[in-house]
Amino acid sequence: MTMSESPPREATAESEMLAGVPAGLYRWLSTTDHKVIARLWMGAGSVLLAAGLLLGAAVSAERLDPAEVGLFGGLNSYFQMWSLYRFGMVLLVAVPLFVGLATAVIPGQVGSTEIAFPRAALAAAWTYILGAGIVAVSVVAGGGWGALDGVTTGEADAMALTLLGTGMVMASIVVGSVCLLTTVISLRTSGMNLMRVPLFAWSILVAGTVWVLTLPVAIANIVVIYVDLRGGPLVFGEPEGSTLIYDQLAWLFEQPQVYSVAIPALGVLGSVIPVVARGRQVSHPAMMVLLGAAGLLSVGGWSQPMLAGDNRDLLVFVAFGLAAVLPALAFLGGNAATLKAGDAPVGLPPAHLIGALGAGLMFLAATAAGAVRVIDPLELIATTADTGVMNLAVAAALLGAVAGMVFWGPVAWGRLLPAGQSVLVLLLLLAGGLVAGLSDVVAGLADAPDVMLADQGDGVIDAMVLVSFAGSLLLALAGLGLLGTLFSSWREGTSLDDPWGGHTLEWTTPEAWAETKVASEAPLLDLASTSSSGDDGQEAS
Amino acid sequence: MTVTTGLPAAALRRPRTVVVGTMFASASALMTYFGLLAVYLNARADARAAGSEWFPDGVVELGPSGFVFWTLILSTFTVRWAVQAIGNGDRTNAYVAMALTGLFGAAVFNQMWFIINDTGFSLDGSPAEFLFFVVNGTFLVFLILAVIFLALTTLRALFGQFGPRQDDGVASAALFWHTVSFMYWVTWIAVYVTK
Repeated sequence: MTMSESPPREATAESEMLAGVPAGLYRWLSTTDHKVIARLWMGAGSVLLAAGLLLGAAVSAERLDPAEVGLFGGLNSYFQMWSLYRFGMVLLVAVPLFVGLATAVIPGQVGSTEIAFPRAALAAAWTYILGAGIVAVSVVAGGGWGALDGVTTGEADAMALTLLGTGMVMASIVVGSVCLLTTVISLRTSGMNLMRVPLFAWSILVAGTVWVLTLPVAIANIVVIYVDLRGGPLVFGEPEGSTLIYDQLAWLFEQPQVYSVAIPALGVLGSVIPVVARGRQVSHPAMMVLLGAAGLLSVGGWSQPMLAGDNRDLLVFVAFGLAAVLPALAFLGGNAATLKAGDAPVGLPPAHLIGALGAGLMFLAATAAGAVRVIDPLELIATTADTGVMNLAVAAALLGAVAGMVFWGPVAWGRLLPAGQSVLVLLLLLAGGLVAGLSDVVAGLADAPDVMLADQGDGVIDAMVLVSFAGSLLLALAGLGLLGTLFSSWREGTSLDDPWGGHTLEWTTPEAWAETKVASEAPLLDLASTSSSGDDGQEAS
Repeated sequence: MTVTTGLPAAALRRPRTVVVGTMFASASALMTYFGLLAVYLNARADARAAGSEWFPDGVVELGPSGFVFWTLILSTFTVRWAVQAIGNGDRTNAYVAMALTGLFGAAVFNQMWFIINDTGFSLDGSPAEFLFFVVNGTFLVFLILAVIFLALTTLRALFGQFGPRQDDGVASAALFWHTVSFMYWVTWIAVYVTK
């Protein structure tokens, strides 16, 4: 006779108090529980997501009539908010949401009860929150990443503060990623070799490596610019006005680097599809190779203007841009084959499937738009196509992150997100991302400059700016909707241990890991197959 | 019902977590530093292409920077000595080796300080002077971090936390030390030799 006893997943406040677990603010400041640390990343990321998408809608509205730049109070403010939107969506929202989701899920996926270096992970989460706050305050105080109408002394001080906050956010992402990478490399349970790591953990290994190796290059740029502003020869702070600071960091928000933000979304897709299809990936190793290729083609530290000059002339830049489509396409194809080969139930697709598939399609759209952007005769670089590619990649990341939050909600915070609201948020993100991204690419084909300061007098551009504004509004609604969905989940979300029939170890208890033999990337599926064949055998006998 | 008795299962043998984490952190530190160095080299190449002088002749001398180079070579041997000694359970040799490495670190700091003062450069001077400050200053920051890492490791070793069965901390401190030494060797060639 075998007896197993599983403790309840979620400890109650009363039981935690009795067990001596610190409560309140002290708990948030001192915890080493990876799921609590994850909530810091995801909570702050979700609030900033809603704020960032609202800001995006405002910036888009401003473009409707560039001659009357009135919403933000002047050219300089417009440029600050335009650049804050880009910086914010990539480094304050998309990447932190994935770092948070991974912090919650990955230790369990690889069969570890904790994250590597939990205190460093906690420090990273708080540094991110503090850095984001400094960036927001300094931009409002007149800082930012450059100025169009001259830099006053006060603005130079505020810019230095913006750079400090930017550096803090990047450093926090690097430290958080190092904790995750070390968890995947060092804390895997017995039997789980690297080829058996679930695809989400693998995607974080790939994307995290890209972040750990490329964000420090941006930090190096920030060091040069910061020292220059604080006492150097003012190469970057020309009194007559300059966007040199932004130009020097723009490669973070452009292809190929911006693709790295969305690679974990492919990991979410690769994890969700087999569970929905109730089967295995048609080729787990091939999916891993494709994710690795996508990561390799998203390394962009070398493409910054200070090092590469006019990078559209570089053959390697064009080759990276064109080649990036291939792994995206093949990865989507592989997952479509998995879905077809499986036994997915007929009916309305669950929210996480909508989000994950949307993320995959959006990533493909981003790489396709990026491939068009690098074709030299079209002259799309420095047009709104830059923003279009970024919007598509960021939308892919947001769809993946929200789909991941829906899928792993029971693991990350012990509650399901409301299905109807989640579907609505994901559909708004999908529609808004596609409309905003593609319209900017089309406007770029009509030579619309990326920083639009005056009416272009072109019918196509005017129409696309209007369409882009509509897309931004949908995205803003999605951001607000996500906050509402999270609030509903917190207030009245149902708690289920494993509502989807997950295949990987995070869906079971640490006590069960020791008894689960890991012989493939889906140990719980193996266990279920063994049990059902055992039952069949019993019935047959 | 089956009842089994016996010793508890042995703990899983995991790859060395601290060493793996330090490896990623070192890679990150290298990319930061080489990013800076790339900015420096690019600015110098632009200046030369424009036909202007980068450093005035005789201002940045090779001699003192060569002392730093050889001091860091020596420290590479002493830090490996520390790892070897702690792995063999020879604590006395490990302490001596770590102390010597720290001393070499202090010597490098002193020499770098001399080099920076000897040039007479100012931070708000030419772009060449400014970037010289930034590159060498950043190296000093990493050197200080490496010395702090080594000092903390030495303290932990003194309190008996490391030994033949657990030498991860010392190996990690050594790995970061090698990383910082490598930064300087590249700098020496790129900034001082090919100036």
